[in-house]
Amino acid sequence: MLDLIILTVSLVFFVIAVAYIHGCQSLKGGGDNA
Amino acid sequence: MTANGWLQIAVFFVLVLLAAKPLGLYMARVYERQKTLLDPVLGPVERLLYRITGINPDAEMRWTEYGAAMLIFSCATLLLSYAIQRLQGVIPIVRLNPQHLAGVEPYLAWNTAVSFTTNTNWQSYVPESTMSYLSQMAALATHNFWSAATGMALAIAFIRGISRRESKTLGNFWVDLTRGTLWVLLPICIVSALALVSQGAIQNLKPYDTVTLVEPQTVTAPGADGKPVTTKVTTQTIAQGPLASQEAIKMLGTNGGGFFNANSSHPFENPTPLTNLIEMLSMFLIPAGLTVTLGKMVGSRGHGWAVFAAMSVLWFAGVATCYWAEAQPNPLLHGVDQRVAQMGAAQSPGGNMEGKEVRLGITNSTLFATVATDTSTGAVNSMEDSYMPLGGMVPLVNMMMGEVIFGGVGSGMYGMLILVIVTVFIAGLMVGRTPEYLGKKVQAYEVQLSMLYVLIFPLIILGFAAVSVLAPSFGTSSLANHGPHGLSEILYAYTSAAANNGSAFAGLNANTHWYNATLGITMLTGRFLMIVPMLAVAGSLATKKIAPPSLGTFPVNSTLFTVLLVGVILIVGALTFFPALSLGPILEHLLLRAGTSFS
Repeated sequence: MLDLIILTVSLVFFVIAVAYIHGCQSLKGGGDNA
Repeated sequence: MTANGWLQIAVFFVLVLLAAKPLGLYMARVYERQKTLLDPVLGPVERLLYRITGINPDAEMRWTEYGAAMLIFSCATLLLSYAIQRLQGVIPIVRLNPQHLAGVEPYLAWNTAVSFTTNTNWQSYVPESTMSYLSQMAALATHNFWSAATGMALAIAFIRGISRRESKTLGNFWVDLTRGTLWVLLPICIVSALALVSQGAIQNLKPYDTVTLVEPQTVTAPGADGKPVTTKVTTQTIAQGPLASQEAIKMLGTNGGGFFNANSSHPFENPTPLTNLIEMLSMFLIPAGLTVTLGKMVGSRGHGWAVFAAMSVLWFAGVATCYWAEAQPNPLLHGVDQRVAQMGAAQSPGGNMEGKEVRLGITNSTLFATVATDTSTGAVNSMEDSYMPLGGMVPLVNMMMGEVIFGGVGSGMYGMLILVIVTVFIAGLMVGRTPEYLGKKVQAYEVQLSMLYVLIFPLIILGFAAVSVLAPSFGTSSLANHGPHGLSEILYAYTSAAANNGSAFAGLNANTHWYNATLGITMLTGRFLMIVPMLAVAGSLATKKIAPPSLGTFPVNSTLFTVLLVGVILIVGALTFFPALSLGPILEHLLLRAGTSFS
């Protein structure tokens, strides 16, 4: 059971990290880099 | 301090300097997929790997794809490491588990898997009584290669971001990972492992040896009822294993996780002064070479050397301070014999030898500690908890500066390049012009993400350290020392984890649920949540035009640039942590001078 929880937490972290990529990308909008 | 000691430090630096250029130019050829001498041997292996995995080596990736591929790879290998550790007790290959060690406990297995995936190699366990040979080789040594190759690939991606013009892509993560492993890490490791074996490092799959002690020892320890029990110890178990192959990549990949608990102070891991030199050189080899690779790939050799110079200045400042601090006698030592030994005599230079190997001495202990924390290695050949307060502060400060003093393989280079962006930005503000870096305009987006990169680091360290020092039940209860030294131990643990260094100050029992979980989160955050904004900066820079230099361009190959870069590193890195340092090692130093120590 603990194994499943730990594996889920690990996967959740990496899903957050992928979402974080999207977040960093979306920062670039309408700025001076256009 | 002795002339001999300074000479050894100078010789070490000259060797790094001599190796940097050929290796740096070689790495540039490897990552630009130009011809090398190893192509006839490694080319077919590379093509076979692509065929098996279905990778198109000519496909280019945007920064988002590059980052996602890196995350998927890291996640998959993390889970693999976790599974191997958990299952080591039931995998029926006796040769790979001759001690019949049981599966690793879940929290510890997770902490270790995270630790090796992030190139940290923090070890909350005693390897020789926890990890089977299978786990050491398949779960840990493999990660030493993968995490190092990942760091190098990311650094190259950033360099491409600088050098490419109006490009949407940064290369192919899988190709960079494969070529870094096959062309750079493996060949050097084979040579290095053979050199270590020639000096006495072991490489076998034997069960542990039990030998009879020449001098039996009498040990008194509390028994089950709390009363002292005296036993006579007549035998000793000597751990064995496939060590040399892991030792080579442990140092070259700036990983640092010891095959044995004593790490590089163990005579099997680091048998002679020559292996000590090889191990120290291994740590600096690739990070120093990458400065030359930077210069070659961006078309400004001078810029690469300017970055190398900034790293060298900070390295020297650290090693000089640490060597000076440890060469002093401990002022609290009383008793004629101890005092004489530390004050120095005709046969001994004196100094604080507590926690250091006699065969390595103060110079090679302090140089090793400095190099291991300049880079993200975290290996130790002496116990830093026994250093004088200011001597122990140097490794801590090295990590707090973001490990950009040569730094981890790849991670040091991209960390430094983020600070270069900040430096160029500040220089632009000073003269009132739009900052430019090698012909590319540095604008709001790059500065925002660079600052995100810079701020995550202290936030994660100071946040968890603050909670730990305020929690007697799960934070300070793990400490062996209290007062400022205890704060240093907690601060060191989180700094080491966030910087993906992995060295331990000792004195802190980190194998608890709180520390295993929070240090694991710190390691993951310090690695991946800093890589993502870094890649975003690289991706943004790659899309820009390269403007020709003008009168307003800040030359990034000048001495002024090096001085400014060193200043920015000191201000951003060291001053952020100055309040915490002043309550830890600095206060301990002052109290030690006033006659107070902490137990």
